[in-house]
Amino acid sequence: MTYVGTSVPRREDHRLITGRGNYVADMRLSGMAEAAILRSPIGHGTIERLDVSRARRLPGVVDVVVAGDLEGSVDPFTRPFYKRVDEKLAETTKVVMRPYRAQVLAAERVFRVGEPVAVVVAENRYIAEDALEAIEVDYEPLPVLANAEDALKDGAVQLHPEVPGNLHCSFEVHVGDVDRAFAEADHRIATRIKIGRSVGSPLETRGAVADYSEVTGELTLWATQARPHLLRTYISEMLHLPEDLVRVISHDMGGSFGGGIYNEEILIPHLAMRLRRPIRWIEDRRENLANARHSRDQIHDVELSFTSDGTITGMRDRFLCDTGAYNPFGLTLPYNTAAHLRNEFKIDNFQVEAICALTNKRDNTPVRGAGRTSATFVIDRMVDMVADFLGRDPVEIRRRNLIAASMMPYDMGMLYRDGADMVYDSGDYPAQLERVLENIGYDEFRLEQQQLRAKGRHVGIGISNHVEGSGYGPHEGAMIRVDRTGHVVVHTGANPHGQSHETVFAQVCADALGVTPDDVTVRAGDTALIGHGAGTFASRSAVTAGSAVQGAAIKVRKKLLSVAGEVLEVSTEDLTIEAGRVFPKGVPDKALTFAELAEAAAPTLRARLPAGADHGLEATFYFVPATVTFSSGTHVAIVDVDRETGQVEVLRYSVVDDCGLILNPMVVDGQQQGGVVHGIGNALLEEIVYDEQGQVLNASFMDYLLPTASDVPNIDVEHVVYLSPINPMGIKGAGEGGAVSPPAAIANAIVDALKPLSIAITEMPITPERLWRLIRRAESEPG
Amino acid sequence: MQEVLLSVNGSEVRAHIEPRLTLADFLRDVAGLTGTHLGCEHGVCGACTVLLDGESVRSCLLLAVQAEGREVTTIEGIAGPDGSLHPVQEAFTSHHALQCGFCTPGFIMTVLEYVNEGASPDEEEIRQRISGNLCRCTGYHNIVRAIRELAEGGS
Repeated sequence: MTYVGTSVPRREDHRLITGRGNYVADMRLSGMAEAAILRSPIGHGTIERLDVSRARRLPGVVDVVVAGDLEGSVDPFTRPFYKRVDEKLAETTKVVMRPYRAQVLAAERVFRVGEPVAVVVAENRYIAEDALEAIEVDYEPLPVLANAEDALKDGAVQLHPEVPGNLHCSFEVHVGDVDRAFAEADHRIATRIKIGRSVGSPLETRGAVADYSEVTGELTLWATQARPHLLRTYISEMLHLPEDLVRVISHDMGGSFGGGIYNEEILIPHLAMRLRRPIRWIEDRRENLANARHSRDQIHDVELSFTSDGTITGMRDRFLCDTGAYNPFGLTLPYNTAAHLRNEFKIDNFQVEAICALTNKRDNTPVRGAGRTSATFVIDRMVDMVADFLGRDPVEIRRRNLIAASMMPYDMGMLYRDGADMVYDSGDYPAQLERVLENIGYDEFRLEQQQLRAKGRHVGIGISNHVEGSGYGPHEGAMIRVDRTGHVVVHTGANPHGQSHETVFAQVCADALGVTPDDVTVRAGDTALIGHGAGTFASRSAVTAGSAVQGAAIKVRKKLLSVAGEVLEVSTEDLTIEAGRVFPKGVPDKALTFAELAEAAAPTLRARLPAGADHGLEATFYFVPATVTFSSGTHVAIVDVDRETGQVEVLRYSVVDDCGLILNPMVVDGQQQGGVVHGIGNALLEEIVYDEQGQVLNASFMDYLLPTASDVPNIDVEHVVYLSPINPMGIKGAGEGGAVSPPAAIANAIVDALKPLSIAITEMPITPERLWRLIRRAESEPG
Repeated sequence: MQEVLLSVNGSEVRAHIEPRLTLADFLRDVAGLTGTHLGCEHGVCGACTVLLDGESVRSCLLLAVQAEGREVTTIEGIAGPDGSLHPVQEAFTSHHALQCGFCTPGFIMTVLEYVNEGASPDEEEIRQRISGNLCRCTGYHNIVRAIRELAEGGS
């Protein structure tokens, strides 16, 4: 039988439901001390005096470290996470990118609330936090850049000296002839759309436990990190250690949703080396909300041109990212936004200008959806505005403008971020739309809506479709080995944080090798397992690691057959593998077990190998994708709006999604459901609020609201399958799509619910206060 | 320092502790039971939920000294002595009601109390009942299904 495509139960569950997971905070090492970090309480200023002497003297305090202590031992951050911008992309889109230095601990100046200033190490966290209060710091405040527009004004205070005018990066995209499209169109609409700032909020806060062995010179770091290999490189560079002596382990992780490499992940290993004892740092939630990197936060000035029949002919957008104090991901977020702005629509003339401005806030970097949630909110709101302008149903405008299946593969006429031509590789967007409309009962709802409106209820329906460039490179690898007992082990660099890799990759491997998933153990999240790894982000693991596992398994299968051929003196073409046994076709009595073949291939003088073959039943394969593959989805939301209070209830939510070949339907459905609820949070609840002084006003779960079970409905998910042509199994990414469309679908549903009142939702999240103001304004405007 | 004696999953745990030590830190650092997770340490997320004399409490908001002489049940204490899973644990895994698993122990303890009281299969009530626990991965869909099955099976 084959296991891919079936809902094999999760092999990671048992330890997690019995309380035996191994999260970073669960690590207990002999002699371990705990760190706590003193952070800047102000948005921008210079450090005039920093006195840690009283803190040092407290009983139980091991050490207090400030920037000066790091000199010569710890280098600053000097490069963005993606070292290079593709040369062709840089030239074609006129990329401006300005490198800067970022200190691990602030030396003379702080650029944001929460910036690390000093770190205390103590016998336990209680003492460490006491000692933070004993550190004395005098700051001289500097003017605060509270938003991106102010940051770019003449005379604005300059943040990093390497970044004149606070403009960190910019680029332009030009497709077709936008000016002509606008000049010739029947109609044009223009609006300003604001995307609020949110934060990933995994339930586990960040953490790091470091241990340094004087005997071996090896540094081991357990960290909440979705890119262990990249972190290993950073530690190696910044702490001056050979990469091979740095081991980063990310075993069980309580979610991720975004992040990158963090100061603390450099600082804690350094402390373990400095103090020669294991050090643990576990972030608290207040720290997390203000200091785990934020996301979204853009302002779009966007225009569409269209004909009287609703055909969109041109799109022009100038958008500004409030990128915060640092921009380690460079182009990732803004370019993702630019690339996904046209969504599933055929818009031949397109122009984008994107600018990232530095401000005194936390960095604005990818979180689940990563630039696409913003892009999709912009275009799908605009499409509904076109429908309203023309007095048509939004479904009609979508049908008219969606890229047809017959046009696939569809070249978008621009480059993707990796420098490859941006081509939608497969899919049927119109069919996907019709399917989801049928599932939710669109026509029936329109009738019901009239009746409910007559009774004074404000219910509405809204649509959003999206594409997602998934499976980003550069690579992911797998090493597969049949051990001497005949058991199969898979090592990969893509470490999971909820995505069920231990199950799903065992399915892929089992099918390729002719065994069951129980015969396979999948291990990830440890740089010692495999030489190169990228990690789990960008909806990439099923595509890249899945393809790598299959590729390595095919190599091992060939080896199994060739060794069996030698032992049985049979041609490999005449052999087959079933249920973990290799035998000549039709002669199962002659079967060899994997253990017997492992013995035959072992590096001994008795080995039975084909001429020239290496010893062992082992293969490594790196999958290097040519470019991304585009998954897609169409979402429909039905909402009920309380016109008096601005409160919105999502009554029903339907998704039809294409993520290519589905490895495990149970897992993919779960990814979609979770993503949608994340998106509902972004639509209605979640916003990190800064004041004019750069203070975070809502760094607690009392004030930064994640959706609870009673805030959301069941999420109806159906899949249509259009295989990707650019990887062997036809997989497309499934991790983030759920979070991309909900804000647009819900905003469109709210506008629909309140008709005939005409409200213009141009900002997310749509909090009750914002909606209440829009309703009151619309009510006060004459007819 | 103060001496406390708690019953944790049926075993006595005696320790000299600072009065300010939270019950959660006591369970994790003194009793060595790291299945109780800390997600916010301000009583919102519910990841640290344990049962105190059978009632769900947030162990981040209680001091260990407040639990003196009382019976604490954690995620490690609900499977059978032979390792057989509790029906709530079974329901969570069979319905894929967990992904990263970090919030799961808190959810299971909340649901355990609910099931012990006699859970209703009514979806709205189920959603209300678990609205004090946050999950960022599952969207709650499968957690609700798991509880509904437990409620229907029990009625």
